This record gives sequence, C-alpha cells and structure tokens, in this order.
Amino acid sequence: MLRKNSTRIVALGVLSALALTGCASNSGSGSSGSAAADCAPADGKVELSFTSWIPGIDKVVDLWNEKNPDIQVTVQTGPNGNGGTYKNFFNQLEAGNAPDLGQIEYDALPNFRVQDGLENIAACDGVLDSKDQFIDWTWNQVTFGEDDAVYAVPQDTGPMAMYYRKDLFEKAGIPVPTTWDEYQAAAEKIRAQGGYITNFPQNDVNWFAGLVWQAGGQWFSNSGDAWNVTLDSPESAKVADYWQGLIGDDLVSKVPAWTDEWNNAYNTGSDWTWISAVWGANSISTGAPDTSGNWAVAPMPQWNAGEKAAGNWGGSSTAVLKGSEHPYEATKFALWLNTDPEALTALNQEANLYPATKDGLTLPVLADGVPFYGDQAIYDVFAEASGEVNPDFTWGPTMTQTYADVADGFGGVLGGSGTLTEALKNGQEKTISALEAQSIPVAK
Amino acid sequence: MTAPSIAPSAPTRAGARPAKTPRRRVPHARAVLVFLLPFGVLFALFYLLPIGYAVYQSLLVVERDGTFGPPVEVFGGLTQYIAVFQNEAFWSSVGRVLAFGVVQVPVMLGVALVLALLLDSPLVKGKKFFRLAYFVPYAVPGVIAAIMWGYLYSPNLSPFSALTSEVSFLSPDFVLWSIANVVTWVYVGYNMLIIYSSLLSIPAEIYEAAKLDGASQLQIALRIKIPLVVPAITLTAIFSIIGTLQLLAEPQVFRSFTSSVSSTFTPNMAVYATSAVPNVNLAAAMSVVLALATFAMSFAFLKFTQRKAEK
Repeated sequence: MLRKNSTRIVALGVLSALALTGCASNSGSGSSGSAAADCAPADGKVELSFTSWIPGIDKVVDLWNEKNPDIQVTVQTGPNGNGGTYKNFFNQLEAGNAPDLGQIEYDALPNFRVQDGLENIAACDGVLDSKDQFIDWTWNQVTFGEDDAVYAVPQDTGPMAMYYRKDLFEKAGIPVPTTWDEYQAAAEKIRAQGGYITNFPQNDVNWFAGLVWQAGGQWFSNSGDAWNVTLDSPESAKVADYWQGLIGDDLVSKVPAWTDEWNNAYNTGSDWTWISAVWGANSISTGAPDTSGNWAVAPMPQWNAGEKAAGNWGGSSTAVLKGSEHPYEATKFALWLNTDPEALTALNQEANLYPATKDGLTLPVLADGVPFYGDQAIYDVFAEASGEVNPDFTWGPTMTQTYADVADGFGGVLGGSGTLTEALKNGQEKTISALEAQSIPVAK
Repeated sequence: MTAPSIAPSAPTRAGARPAKTPRRRVPHARAVLVFLLPFGVLFALFYLLPIGYAVYQSLLVVERDGTFGPPVEVFGGLTQYIAVFQNEAFWSSVGRVLAFGVVQVPVMLGVALVLALLLDSPLVKGKKFFRLAYFVPYAVPGVIAAIMWGYLYSPNLSPFSALTSEVSFLSPDFVLWSIANVVTWVYVGYNMLIIYSSLLSIPAEIYEAAKLDGASQLQIALRIKIPLVVPAITLTAIFSIIGTLQLLAEPQVFRSFTSSVSSTFTPNMAVYATSAVPNVNLAAAMSVVLALATFAMSFAFLKFTQRKAEK
C-alpha cells in the first residue's frame, strides 16, 4: 500500500515538474515590445550566468566576483558564435533557459533582435549615460540607431591591419605593400620563392565583409519598412574580382582557417601575411609560436595610393538575453566588464581584446611594445585604423545563414568551380529567400 | 481474486474459435507493466514526444510586422513542406547520400561478408585475433575516426604526405569517397560480426552432409552459408541505409580539413544549417521528410528482399 502510494507521488511529482518547466518556458518569451521594461535591483544575493568564448574570460570575471559578493557571475564557455554558441543561444531562448548574459558579435545582433532574443536595457541604471564613453559606431550597432533603445553593451572592436613576417620581407628584399596593387606584386614574388602571401579563408566570410567595409561597400541597409540586400554591390564585386585573381593565379593558399594545417602554414613560414583584426594578434602568437619576434603590423593595403581606409572584422558586445530575471544586475556587470580600466586591461592581456570605449584606447597596456611583434607598439597601428573605419555599416538579420551560403560558394571557388562574384550573387538570393521564409520584409 | 474469473471464460473462447489456439491470459500482468514502465516512460519522453513536437513545429510559420517585429508563430499547414520540396540544397544533399549509399553500402557489406566467411572457414588460423582486430575500428567513436582520417588525408600534415600531396583526397570530386572510406573502415567490423554470429548458428550437420556429398569449402560458402545468412545481410543493409541517410558527424568533421564539404553536404547537415538560421520550422519539416524517406526506403528494401526470398 505504502509502496503504491509512493510511486503515485513520484509520478505526480514528475508530471508537475514537467508542467512547471512548460510554464517557465512560456513566461520567458512572453512580453516582447521594444519599449524598455522597468529595471529594478533585486533584493539580496543574485547569481548570473554569462556565456562567452573569449579565452581567459573566467579570470576577468573572477576580478568582478571578488569585489561583488552579492552579484556572482558564473562563466560558461563554448565555441565561437557562428561555430555553435549562437545556435545554443537560440535553442536556449526557445526553451526559456538562456543565460542572463551572452557574448554576441555586432554582426549577429540584428539576428537576435529579429528573433526577439535581447532585453532592451535602456532603462537600466547608467546605460544611456554611458553612450559618450563608447566609440560612436559601436553605439550605433547596439542601438540600431534608435533613441530609447539599447540592446547590448559594446565590448571590443576589430579594426583591421596587415600582420606580416618582417624578417622574410627584409630577407627577400620585397617592400612592404601599402596598396592592393603592391600586395599583388609582392604575392607574385613570394610565390616565386615557394611561399604564399596569405591564405584565402573560405569560412571567414565576415573577414571578406571587413574588406568590403574598407572598400566603402555595404551588404545590408534597413529603411525601416524593409531590408535591402546588396551583397552584389559594385564595391563587393571589386573586392571579389581582386581575390579571384589571386586565387586563379595560385598566389594564395587555400587551407581552411583556424585549423592545425592553417597554423602550420604560418608557423613554418609558408604564409607571409595576414590581413586581420586587432584580436588576431593573439591568434598568430598562439598558432605560430615558433615565429615569435619576426612579425610586425602595418596598415591595411589601400585601393588608391595615399588613401586611409580600414575595415573592421568582428568585435563583440555583451547582451542581456531575453528572459533574464536580473537585468539590473546583469547590465551593471556588462558595463563594468566593458568600461572599467581594470577589466579592459585584463581582457587585453588575456585575449588581446581592443576596447570599444574611447578612454580604453589610451590604456597603459596598449602603449607597450609586444615582444611577439619585435617589441613594436602594435596597438598604435590599430588605434589609427579604428578612426578610419566607416561608422555606418549595417548587418543583416540572418548573418549565420548569409555566411554559410557565401562560404559554400567560396568553397566551390577554391575547389575550382565558379567565381567569388557568383558566390556573392548566390548568397544574395539565398539571403533574400531566408528573410522571406521568416516574413522579414525585403525591398526589391 | 483473479483466478476464478479466468476459468469460465477460457473454454467459451476456445469453443468459439476452435481453429486458433486459445488466447492466453498474460500471467503477472502488473509485474510486466512495472518492468515495461521505465522503457515506456523513456520511450515516450525522448522519442515520441520530440517527434510529435517536431511535427507540430513543422506545421507553423512565422509572421511579423516590420523589419524588427517580434516573430509570431501561427499555423501554416503544409507551407514548410512545400518549402522543403522547393529547397534545391536539400534535394542535392539527398542525391549525394543516395549516390554514396549505392556505392558504399554494397562495398562495405561485401567486404563484411567475405571477412565473416573467412573467419568461419576451417582453414584460417588465429580467428580470435582477427575477429577482434576487424571489430576494433567500431570501438573508435565516429568523430574521432573522422579526425584521424582527416589528418591522414591532409596534404601537408599527413604522415603519407608524399601520396596525399599528389592525390587530393579532399578535393570536391573525391571527398565523398574519402568519407565513404572512413565510414566503411568504422562499420565493416560491426557488420561482419552480425553476419559471423549468424554463420555460427548454422547447424554443423548441414556441413557434414555437404562434405559427404563432396562439396568443397568454396561450394559450401557459396551454396550453403551465404543463402543461410541472407536475413543477417538484409538486417545490416537496412541499418546501413538508415545510417547513410543520416550521415552527419564524418562530413561535419571534414569541414575543418577541406573547403569541399559545403554546409548542406548531407540532409542532416542541411537540417542543422537551417536550424542555425534559425528557422526551426523549416528544419523540423526537413527532419520529418527525412525520417519518412528513411522509413520508406528501409521498408521498401525489406519488402523487396522478402519477395525475392519467397520466389
């Protein structure tokens, strides 16, 4: 008798637990207006969860946890955003158990906004006042140009420059290229010596977008009523034709980026340069440890001699995800993480993150020479590039899909079929149909 | 309490339908239920419920107002299924795995059958060693196997780079068959073991009779063993068809070794890429179509082989 009752109780418990989780997930995705909800502090101790893929982020968060016993943050790490973390976020948002805070790159913010995954934190303490602390274009990215809305706190930026093997260029007597024409000429000389000037990364479509950004192009614009998709813009085609030429003449290597084979190409001196963002400094030093001291950084090659334009690749924000029970505390942490000099210094030391705040660019840690780069003060180059980035660049609402479809086309090019321009055109069509499949209005 | 109630009903049933054996009342019905309960609960929670949820999701479409309007899921009937049938990438991935299956499954099962027959033959020494050796690759997780083979194929990092830098195993034309090789390597031992255990269950008298009639080992293998293990081969073929349509781990891993594997290389990868958009409704519809296609193909194969066996 007793046993029978206890099984019933257990069954009842399981059922009610299921019902409860069902309810919880519903309430998570309930209110969804764009107006800022009220943002009040909680009573007592608060525990927050934060998902980020920045190497060493746990050490930076430890600094916060020591000073704030009442707001304890737990870090979860994962693969980079497009590599899986965004997918996890979307699944968690659907299930109503997303972390309180998440790292989201600027190019993915519109996607999360479209899927209603971001809390508007404009009403939270100190958010609107912090506007002037941040580099102007990053603030545009997190507000989408709206006045009463803030959807994330800018974290870092990725102004681009050229990393190059100073020793190899000197030894071969090749001048360091300052224009894209010179870059191609250098590529031919390097190829004649058996090396490659750089690698064309099939899957880094956001890298390619950074090059289009430098060339003055746009891939998306939002008129308020509809999205304009312009992956096939003239600027885009110009960049595509240029790299098509390098690929066609076998002047660039074609290994998939971020793999052992790719690291090996840099570590053994087979690849000589990398047009990359400021955070890439960390990628080279960890991926090619044998080449320490031989690298240097110069501005990106220009389309016309004497011009000064830079692209941007990546850069993240810290967003409060929809359904967080503690937006006040989460925002407080996000502001500290991305404006406090101690946090910014730690982020730079752990992961070479380059602050999105104006004051952050003059941090003492950024003035030092970096031994891996022959003691060059590399951040001076990036500070200059940061000021040359076109402040108006809009990302589309399904960038993971756009990147995947363009990357598939790029992969075809590297395998010998099609052109980069065709890949972009195909990406354009696929993006439009992906938008329409989700009832997102597209201008035609 | 229950015993008397059976007694009167049993003879009447037997009398009503004398041709059939009387349906027996299951003894210990409650105990059976209790033992089935853990399976039933888990089956419902982790099999039926997710499938039902996927079917439900596949019937919804998203509506919204304006460029940043929040998504509202509404009932859309078969809209997502129409989108699946118009999705070129999905169907070219289906075509790719079908081509893969037509070549890889017969090759793998052929090799598995030959290995099983060799192990079963009285002429071979060291059976225990070979049985284990053939099976060991199956103990390697699929992802690990794919990573290992990825390095072996890699033009620069491979220990056989003299060969791999000349023959591009990872080129667009070849990568599907390089993946087929990995899948074959992993599963051949597993399929061999199923066929081999079926061979072991053949009664020894049959072999003795064949020998008395003057049959050679080859004739025994061709005329006796193979026909008797056809059911086992059918079983492994169905498993392999299902596995082929659901290819995911190996090509996904190969994406970090080559640019020749697109994000929609196999149907499961297309589902994954669609759910990453995120367009869960379309991904759910793709999954349902894939599941139905897998079921239909396995069933068709089973019927086909049964009809052949009857003839």
